[in-house]
Order: sequence, then C-alpha cells, then structure tokens
Amino acid sequence: MLNMLRKDYIALKSSQWIVILYLVVFSTVFIPRMDMSMYFVGIYTAIGSIMLATMVDIKNHNHRFLITLPINRKHIVKAKYLTAIAYMLFAVFSSFGIHWLTIRLFPLLDKPNYTFNDIIISIGIILLLISVYMPLFYALSHKSAAVINAVFLVALIVLAQPAAQFIHWLSEESQWQSPITLFVYPGILLLFLVSYLVSVKLFSRRDI
Amino acid sequence: MNAIEINNLCKSYPLFSMDNLSVNFKKGYITGLIGPNGVGKSTLIKMILGMITPDAGTIRILGNSMPEQEVDIKQRISIVSDDCFFYEHLTIKETGKMIAPFYSHWNDQKFKSFLEQFQLSPSKRVQDLSKGMKIKLALAIALSHEAELLIMDEPTSGLDPVFRREMLDLLADMMQNDNHSILFSTHITTDLDRIADYTAFIHNGRLIFNEAKDEVLERYAIVKGEMQLLDTDIRKEFVGLRETSVGFEGMVDNRSRAQELFGSHALLEQPTLEDIMYYTAKGVSVHA
Repeated sequence: MLNMLRKDYIALKSSQWIVILYLVVFSTVFIPRMDMSMYFVGIYTAIGSIMLATMVDIKNHNHRFLITLPINRKHIVKAKYLTAIAYMLFAVFSSFGIHWLTIRLFPLLDKPNYTFNDIIISIGIILLLISVYMPLFYALSHKSAAVINAVFLVALIVLAQPAAQFIHWLSEESQWQSPITLFVYPGILLLFLVSYLVSVKLFSRRDI
Repeated sequence: MNAIEINNLCKSYPLFSMDNLSVNFKKGYITGLIGPNGVGKSTLIKMILGMITPDAGTIRILGNSMPEQEVDIKQRISIVSDDCFFYEHLTIKETGKMIAPFYSHWNDQKFKSFLEQFQLSPSKRVQDLSKGMKIKLALAIALSHEAELLIMDEPTSGLDPVFRREMLDLLADMMQNDNHSILFSTHITTDLDRIADYTAFIHNGRLIFNEAKDEVLERYAIVKGEMQLLDTDIRKEFVGLRETSVGFEGMVDNRSRAQELFGSHALLEQPTLEDIMYYTAKGVSVHA
C-alpha cells in the first residue's frame, strides 16, 4: 500500500503546483464574495486535486501498467481513496488556514469566525462527493472517465448556490449531539465505506 | 513442470470468442505463441496477466492460481509489451524509482547497466522515447527483478533489426538459468525460428498445436504438385491449399501420410512457421 501511495506521489509530483493554483484561484474568487467561502475553497480544491490524481492513472491507459505490478486491483482502489483523503485534508485545512489569515490581515472583508464544526462539515461534504465520484470513475472506461470529470466539475459550478443554502442550513443545525451530527456524519462514513467496496467490485470486474 | 497451466478458458466478445482453451507452457523453455492478428493471442496474455477476466476456466502460473495468488505470481513474472503504458510525463529514472519498491528482488545496479547497454538516458522522459526505446525500457525493467517467467506480447514489432538480434541474444542468456521460462507472443515468426523451443499456435480462439518447434516443422510439410493429383478426398488432407493454373501448393500436418499418398508424384518441402501460420489461417479455399 505504501508503494502505491509512493507511486502516486512520484506521478503527481510535477503537477502539485496545480493544487496550489486551485487554492489561489478559488480563494480569490470566493473569499471576497461569499460568507461560506471556507467551504467552497476547500471543496473545490479537494475535488479538483482528486480529479488530478485519478486522471494521472488514465491519461496513457496507465491502469494497464499498474495491473502488471505485484499488486491487486483492491490495492489500486484503496490507494486512490487514501490519496483522495490526503488531498481532502490538505484542501480543507489549507482553506481554514487561508481564512484564518484573511480574518487577521483583511478585517474589512468582515469574514465570520470559522470553527472546528465548519471543518467537519467541509470534510463531510467532500467525503460525500468522493463516495459518488469514485465508483463512477472505476466503473467507466478511459474515455468515459474523462467525461465524468467534466460533468462533475460543471455540476459543482451549477450546484454551488443550492449547495451554499444546504451548507448554511447544515452549519446552523449541526451542533454536537444534535440529531444531524448523530445520524448524518456516521451515514456519510458508512456511504464512503460502501463506495470503496463498490469501487473495488466494479474495478475488479472491468477488463482493462 | 509447467510455467503456465490453462484449463478450459472461455471468453466471449461480440465478434470473437475463445472456447475451452486448454494449454500448458513448459518451465525452463522459450515458447513462441503464434497466430495472425486478432486470433486471441493478446486476449490470452491479458487473461494470464489478470487484465481481462475469463468467463470460465482456470489459470495457474508457476504453481499458483490466478487471480487468487496474483501478488505472489507477479513478483515472479515480467511483462514486455509493444504497447507501453508507463507514465509518459516521468523520466526513465523516475519510472525506475516508482517501480523498484514493488519488487522484493529489484536489482538497481542491473537496471542501470541495462539502461547503459540500451543507450537509454535516465533523464529522458518516457513521452520523448520512440516505440523501440519504450520496448527497451520495458525490457530493462523486466530483466531487473530476477523474474522466473518473462511474458512478451509482440515485443519485436517496433524494433530495429540490430536491437531485435540483441534482444534475442539477451533472452538466450536469460535461458542459461534452467529456472527461467519465456512466453513470446509474436506474428514475426523468424524471431521464433532463432530462439523458440516450443511453439503454440492459436487461431480463432482455438489451439491448433503446442509442440516442440522442431517436431512441428518435421510433422508439417508443403506439398507441390500437378492439379491431376487432387480430388475431393485428397483435398481434405490439406490444412491449406493454394491452387493455380499450373498446379497446387498445399500444407499437410502429417508428412508421412503425405509421403504415402503422393509418393514421388509430388514434391514435399519443410515449411517455415510462417508457412504453417499462413496456410492454417487461409484454409483450403486459397486460389491464386
């Protein structure tokens, strides 16, 4: 497993600047305009980075190369889920850090004080998106996976406004020990686990 | 003992199917897998490697079952294909660094020495390599982790004659160790004339033969004669037949039977693997 993560690190090393570019672009776009910019910078950066990590494996049919290494398909999928989690944590905490700095350096922007709860909501939403995206990626062929990435990005942009309302509602409802916290978050974790198992199953059945 | 054992393998596609293919590839030998394009050679190799899931049947490699013991098997095998699927944006050095930790017997010194021998610069990106150079890189990787079984899918198709000869010599060197085996899929049969011990011929998803190469060449014969020698029953004796206005040329898979039938009335010649492939693929309906 460590070797697979190391493989991802080597394959993605030269494109890490794109992740930083995502952070800069989304921060510039969302921070001056939205109160909930912390969520959007984190979510968009995470999903963009995860797509970068998945695309690197299909650009040159690299799954056909990976399958020749002494690993099985379950390892390939598991490593990609772990890489996705790593990108998610990086994006969410970077977004939190950028907003923490913004509040101190640019008080005129009048940003709200973000809390641990906001980090948890961001993580929950990204886990939800990964849970939908990954099985689609592993179920589809080389060309269709590229289409799914494009559709997913467009959907994220189009659904930004309804998502903002949902996040607003979630952040108001979501307090520790509230029913939301007790049911939604364990539900998302369960969905994430099911998504992983489904991805393994779909990818194991696919002819490469 | 067999390096690869395949039993009742089935795979169906809309335009192609492999039905109950059973074949064993011997350990310690070079087996050439031959057949025209699109007859199932690559499908078979992909099923052996776990890239394609068979509809039915079993595959055992070096005594282990695929896909149950896939990881152990892949530690002991190497793959060289004419399709190169390495990460194009990486350099050769990065590619080596990426692959090395996966293999418990990776020999970095050997890898560097192959790069030198094949004149591959470690700082060159995979995307800047020609098809032949990519095959050289795949071969350098394949030979650097002490694999017992080397599986090669059309490896010589993009190579210049000089490196092709060099590669065949390398494979012959590899075979100095009795524990090593090579499965070499190709339609360039002259490569096999040089190095193969056994030849397996696949046509339309069926195994035509899997025998020692020399025995195959002795068993088959090209028969040349005049048209009067042919009648309906005689025609059935041919694997493939080419008729012209001046006579016929055909392939039989039983030389002694042909000698009995034609005696001194026809000329019997030893075929090449390419002749066998050609006549089997074309059948008895060949007319010039």
